[in-house]
Amino acid sequence: MEKLLDIDYLIKSYPHILKYLPVTIWISVASMVLGIAIGLATALIRLYKVPVLGPLSALYVSFVRGTPLLVQIYLVFYGIPKFIYYFQTQHGWMTGIDVNYVSPEVYVLLSFSFNLGAYLSETIRSAIESVDRGQFEAADAIGLSRTQTMLKIILPQALTVALPNLGNTFISTIKDTSLVFVIGVIDIMGEAKIIGARGLAYFEVFIAVSLIYWPVCIIIERVLVIVEKRIRKYERSAIS
Amino acid sequence: MIQLQQIHKYYGSQHVLKGIDLTVGKGEVVAILGPSGSGKSTLLRSINFLERATSGSITINGRTVDAASASKQDVLALRLSTGMVFQQYHLFKNLKVLQNVMLGLTDVKKLSPAKAKEISTVLLEKVGLKDRMNHYPSQLSGGQQQRVGIARALALNPEVLLFDEPTSSLDPELVDEVLSVIKQVASEGNTMIIVTHELGFAREVADRVVFMEDGIVVEEGTAEQMFTNPLKERTRQFLSKALRA
Repeated sequence: MEKLLDIDYLIKSYPHILKYLPVTIWISVASMVLGIAIGLATALIRLYKVPVLGPLSALYVSFVRGTPLLVQIYLVFYGIPKFIYYFQTQHGWMTGIDVNYVSPEVYVLLSFSFNLGAYLSETIRSAIESVDRGQFEAADAIGLSRTQTMLKIILPQALTVALPNLGNTFISTIKDTSLVFVIGVIDIMGEAKIIGARGLAYFEVFIAVSLIYWPVCIIIERVLVIVEKRIRKYERSAIS
Repeated sequence: MIQLQQIHKYYGSQHVLKGIDLTVGKGEVVAILGPSGSGKSTLLRSINFLERATSGSITINGRTVDAASASKQDVLALRLSTGMVFQQYHLFKNLKVLQNVMLGLTDVKKLSPAKAKEISTVLLEKVGLKDRMNHYPSQLSGGQQQRVGIARALALNPEVLLFDEPTSSLDPELVDEVLSVIKQVASEGNTMIIVTHELGFAREVADRVVFMEDGIVVEEGTAEQMFTNPLKERTRQFLSKALRA
């Protein structure tokens, strides 16, 4: 009789898929870090209404939010080598790079941080805007420079506001990394597809991969709750 | 000594300060009184460039800064020679009490943390909050927060202290603890400009009283003279009504 589910195959495939969890985590963490850097820069450019860069940033954010991540991955993967090749042949630039040997992980990082930067810039911008004007005035009054004010006063307060959003974005990113196999990076999803094809047991491997994503996201969620409590401790009002 | 000359401020077409002249001698305490919208807070805030006056000049300690053409250095110099106490305290919420007071010393004046801590501890002791030094502002009452605000303003050892309605956000029972700290600071010979609605307090602490309305100085004089025998009818009206209330 045909079995609904080949449990043995599921169990056997699980450790093989799990071996690739570091790839998933590594890509998520690295693109999150780069994304925050890009997002912060973009947010500041838009907040300070920097000429030329301001409108360009708005265009960038609009484009990223208006196109699917999958399309952006393909654009980076197929587009960047073409650009590099063009500059090499036409201008003699960047001749140190051999486009045939660039790891696809590089394109994954580029496209993910490009994508995250746009989303996070909005998160960061609204968080900075939510900080009380009086905090800027008090910093001005004691003579802090704009950079000092940002680093010591505004960004720490904005971080508390942004943290729940940053956490959600990170969890989404973990799940979005399931797309990276389309350009040949083997993460847990990629390995699941490979093993699934080998045994023609797709349903089993996708259950297995779900049972990796799910607990990972639960753990991250828990950690975020703890971090948020920590970081919000200055807001706790208790007159003693 | 601090001298304001012909301070004008426009918000768009609205003329909120109409050529204010004010001189405050060293160690003098000046209270600025006046109805809401008279421009008194705007005047105070234009001294340290939280508001940039449209024209006029500000002289503190021999350095004259033209409002219209002030450079970054000019503004910084004014801010370092003034200490500001805000109506809403505006303590840095993410920093503990001690760090609030220390920040200007370590990051602007570039003192060593040890030295900055020493100065700050003395100031916190003066305002009676040494035991709250490791609390966050949210853990303090309004009166306590404002006293930290005063310590923070004193930290840079400014030429002049600016108080922008320092007790207006406080619950009535917390006003006195703040006023007594301000009085103590005044008695130590600090130069102070106080925008306030507390007329009794102004009378008690100020050497001189300035009455403003509609962006001009209506009348100024010694506290005694202004409260007992003002020259202008409008001053008399305002002070008597407010004193009765």
